[in-house]
Amino acid sequence: MKSLRKYWSLLKISWETGLVYRVNILLWRFRQFLLTLMSLTLWTVIFGSADEVFSYTNAQMITYIFVASVAQSIILATALNGLARTVYTGELSNVLVKPVSVYLYLAAQDVADKLKNFGFIIFESLGLYLIFQPPLVIPSAAIATLFVLWLIGGAVLNFLITLLFGAIGFWSPDIWGPRFLFFMIVSFTAGNLYPLDILPEVLTRVLFLTPFPYFAYMQSQLFLGRIDSSETLLHSAVLAFWIVVFAIIVKIVWGRGIRSYSAQGH
Amino acid sequence: MTKNLKRYWLIWKLLAANALQETFVNRGSNILFMIGKIFRLAMTLFLLFLIKSRVKEFAGYTTDEIVIFFLTYQFIDVLAQVAYRGVYIFTHYVRHGEFDFVLTKPLSPLFQALTGKPDFNDALFIIPTTILSIWIVMQLEVNITLASFLWYLLLVANGLLIATSLHILILCLGILTTEIDSATWLYRDLMQLGRFPVNIYLEPVRLVLFFLVPVGMMITIPSEVLLNRPPTYSVILATLFGVGFFWFSLRAWRWSLKQYSSASS
Repeated sequence: MKSLRKYWSLLKISWETGLVYRVNILLWRFRQFLLTLMSLTLWTVIFGSADEVFSYTNAQMITYIFVASVAQSIILATALNGLARTVYTGELSNVLVKPVSVYLYLAAQDVADKLKNFGFIIFESLGLYLIFQPPLVIPSAAIATLFVLWLIGGAVLNFLITLLFGAIGFWSPDIWGPRFLFFMIVSFTAGNLYPLDILPEVLTRVLFLTPFPYFAYMQSQLFLGRIDSSETLLHSAVLAFWIVVFAIIVKIVWGRGIRSYSAQGH
Repeated sequence: MTKNLKRYWLIWKLLAANALQETFVNRGSNILFMIGKIFRLAMTLFLLFLIKSRVKEFAGYTTDEIVIFFLTYQFIDVLAQVAYRGVYIFTHYVRHGEFDFVLTKPLSPLFQALTGKPDFNDALFIIPTTILSIWIVMQLEVNITLASFLWYLLLVANGLLIATSLHILILCLGILTTEIDSATWLYRDLMQLGRFPVNIYLEPVRLVLFFLVPVGMMITIPSEVLLNRPPTYSVILATLFGVGFFWFSLRAWRWSLKQYSSASS
């Protein structure tokens, strides 16, 4: 209980630190708002000349983009984009000398950032809802619970992948190249710009061999009731599988990284 | 005048050589950046052609015409990155007092702040993508004539003038606030809205994109003219706007230089 209180304090400090540069936060959220606005506008005009495209009706597509944008904003928001730099410059030493788990310390920062983003997402979603008025059907309690669990699962998966990118800093200062490539891949494969099932079948199959569909697409399909119960079980298992796989990889890579860590500059 | 131009060209060549060496030092990262950019371009074009296979027309434009808007965005955006990447690191010089050294040199500080770090990654990217873009345009069913192409070139130059002005305004913000990261990325995101005709957006977004952050003047108007479509605003207005905007940005730069306090040195 005492150690939990320690992480609760860390979370509160991270929350307050995150709110220091308020204009930066507002501009960051405004940028996210603009991207969703672009996506929703584009699909609205595409459906202006057709009733059904890629087996989606206008209402289904707008609702999908709306839900996927919210899901993606929660899952992919992270305070740890600069983690590799923290490692490379030796700033990580400040955490290592404290009586805390590095993973939980970083998790507390990430959770605080997600909570901060979530507050903004509510207002942004309200604004977008009033503009585009997507027909939202509230799912059953069971689906809603599973939706929240999949959101948390997606967020944990993203956290683990972010830790892996952070680990690059143990060995190299060349950090932004891999991160940029990852951003690019995620932005086209997470499903927040379009549902992945509009892609040719072979591409969709390839994407499902990766964790990317669990960054927004599957959560949105679940929320919209486009997944039956047998598939729900399968995808829950696959999401759990990816989390376990990446947790093991993180454990190994960070273990090796810490052993070769020289606290350069400190 | 010619002597001055020659001097600036020589200095730029030196700056460019330094930037090129830096690109080679971080070659691993730069290769990944390049792959990321190719992936983004390939996926966007793939999606546009995927939409074309299902929808022949949207927002009053054929899907082929929409591709022209996207390729124009791609060209202007990347060219601005090639030339003005230095803007992204400008606040570092302001915060650390290194801008003082720039001011003491017998050179335009604006020239150094704007063009001090050309981006060779984007320079390498723009050559094959421009060739690819020309090839794609030749495959499209669009109405392009020699006259419309010449007007297009003029308006693309006007678009680049507006891009220069926007970068100068970001530099002004850098002097005044020492923090421009968010403003720079906001500019990039607003530019992204120009991947499609700005007319598709609701008011007041449309008005903002034509007159406040004039992405519409930079991308939508040239594309409309190339396609022999009546432009949303006349060519004369777009050109006057570009020149006026540039004049305003220079005035803003001079004013912000006077506000520079050299606090960190």
